[in-house]
Amino acid sequence: MGNKIQFIDRLRLGFAVSVAKSVTFIVQFLRLGAASVLPGAIARRIEPRLLELLSQQVKNGVILIAGTNGKTTTALLLCTILERKGYRIAHNSTGANLENGLMSALLESTNLLGTLDVDYAILEVDENIVPRVLTPLQPRIILCLNLFRDQLDRYGEVDTISKRWTKVISTLPAETVVIPNADDPTLSNLGQQLPQRVLFFGLNEPEHYLEAIPHAVDSIYCPRCGHSLDYKGVYLSHLGDFTCPKCGFSKSKPTLESSEWSQILVGLYNKYNTLAAATAAIELGVDEATIRDAINNFQAAFGRAEDLVINGKRVRILLSKNPVGTNETIRVVTESTDKTTLLVLNDRTPDGTDVSWIWDVDTEKLVERGGTLVVSGDRVYDLALRLRYSEKYPQSKLNLIVEKDLRQAIATALEHTPENETLHILPTYSAMLEVREILTGRKIL
Amino acid sequence: MSFPELQLTIGWLYPTLMSTYGDRGNVITIERRAQWRGYDVKVLPLDQNTTAADIKAVDVIVGGGAQDRQQEIVMRDLQGAKADAMREKIENGTPGVFTCGSPQLLGHYYEPGLGQRIEGLGILDLVSVHPGENIKRCIGNLVIEVTASRLARDLAEMTGSTPYLVGFENHGGRTKLGKVEALGRVVYGLGNNGEDGTEGAFYQNAIATYSHGPLLPKNPFVADWLIQTALRLKYQQEIILQPLDDNLAVQAREAMFKRLKVSLGTGHL
Repeated sequence: MGNKIQFIDRLRLGFAVSVAKSVTFIVQFLRLGAASVLPGAIARRIEPRLLELLSQQVKNGVILIAGTNGKTTTALLLCTILERKGYRIAHNSTGANLENGLMSALLESTNLLGTLDVDYAILEVDENIVPRVLTPLQPRIILCLNLFRDQLDRYGEVDTISKRWTKVISTLPAETVVIPNADDPTLSNLGQQLPQRVLFFGLNEPEHYLEAIPHAVDSIYCPRCGHSLDYKGVYLSHLGDFTCPKCGFSKSKPTLESSEWSQILVGLYNKYNTLAAATAAIELGVDEATIRDAINNFQAAFGRAEDLVINGKRVRILLSKNPVGTNETIRVVTESTDKTTLLVLNDRTPDGTDVSWIWDVDTEKLVERGGTLVVSGDRVYDLALRLRYSEKYPQSKLNLIVEKDLRQAIATALEHTPENETLHILPTYSAMLEVREILTGRKIL
Repeated sequence: MSFPELQLTIGWLYPTLMSTYGDRGNVITIERRAQWRGYDVKVLPLDQNTTAADIKAVDVIVGGGAQDRQQEIVMRDLQGAKADAMREKIENGTPGVFTCGSPQLLGHYYEPGLGQRIEGLGILDLVSVHPGENIKRCIGNLVIEVTASRLARDLAEMTGSTPYLVGFENHGGRTKLGKVEALGRVVYGLGNNGEDGTEGAFYQNAIATYSHGPLLPKNPFVADWLIQTALRLKYQQEIILQPLDDNLAVQAREAMFKRLKVSLGTGHL
């Protein structure tokens, strides 16, 4: 990656950086938050080519992570692995994944002369801005984790997103490496169409097949010919072992044998995140022993299967922001023996203002096992209705506690949690930030 | 008093293709409200594997939204005898609730933002056009007053007040009505096209709407109207529905009216 930046660019870059850094200082000094978006927004006004000028200074290349679910956790794992090898890394660790968030992450490691001194930049990128940032970032590796339905109010449809990705990725240099999820038909197809080198990751563990295809499924139709796909088995949502009986399209072979790898955290979705990060790390030349060691000692990113201890009680926060993710976090709860769960549904911009997706979640599985369910958030009654309609019985047998005030809801849920059990909290994105703030007494964004 | 002998079959249009926005919630709401009253309920997917005879056998129809590609797959399948069966059901007064993409299918045609016009069944006199990728989608909370005369009267009778529906709209396409009656007038939001103040359509006993969210959980009286209409048609007699505890729905509605600062006067449900 070249370090040659024209003098005039350098000057503007330096100015943009120093203004941004002052903003960061002020925001943090006044305890307004972690300054993960605003500095980037301001610096970009001064130097519109900021993203390009900064990313071309990253010594060993930019690694871009895209997908509906798992970006933050995968980025954190890859970051941990590379840090173990002594590399310096720029990373949008707070999960701010729109352009200004990427910029702020790079600015954090940039000095006042506009020099960015890191070995790698690991950037998780919102699926919809991927086409816009690929050209300025010129990533060395692109990880495509999955494409599920998420926040349709902002973005429209899964098909459209994958078409846009394919179009832009095809124009990148031949040496770009793309790592797509082989088990996701849309992404398997994307990988098979690209001129670049493609390394797939995926599962090969039929013992983890689901008994039935869940309802919250987007693409069980062949992305090539539109015929329904035949599944030998489904791991989660539409991820699985598929072939098209009509045109012969089928799952690509993953580079790593999944059964030979342990996973981070809980939930099968984290096995995918593990394999994605491991495939990328191997491609970057990291030895397997280091990768396995990082996997075995991994600590969760905030709110993603994060375990806390509050007043002597264990609390596990499982970010639940869309149907597929929530089906999986419910799977974590139902596979435990813990009987108290708090669900929090907000409808702010980062959550998506459309909360109809809760009806695509198989909440029946959570309700059928009984226990205490506490609900809260901006759309507490919508959530309560969803749970009530998960019951077959005319008289509700559910111990459902509807508490609009989040602080009170957390307190109530903790009261209902016995000493030796874990309280599971399933919040949407903005709700997760609030829950964490209440539990830890500190803002993270 | 319960009616264990009463049976209700819900026909669900293309569940794997047309359920983009939680529209399954409408199926669940009808199913549960019938179950809670002790009826025997069956949900029958109406998809590529069903025949025209299956379509004819259902008592109430639910259709949801689809992505453009899925909508094309549906229209390729819903042809010939199946299309005729669908037409016959709606003309004969089988009740149904059709959200977002499915009213577009029941209309004359839908023009996507990209690609070819998709011909509809032409049952409802309406057309839908997507104005292009760069035009903003209609997204947000939606409140309408039901104005379709017969439905408005029935709902007012059931609830004892002016029927308002609360939902959420999320659509790229804009719909223009021909001679068909609108479902209601927009109180908050955009509705059919953001221009003429109409929302949805009502024809025979088919409710077409852009209001998902889904529609029925927060408007339970509409679910009950569908059930009652279906049972009346099936058993050729008036069936009185037992009241259910709808306290959560009432609270959900009130929270939304309050948030949107929609003032509906007193006495509304």
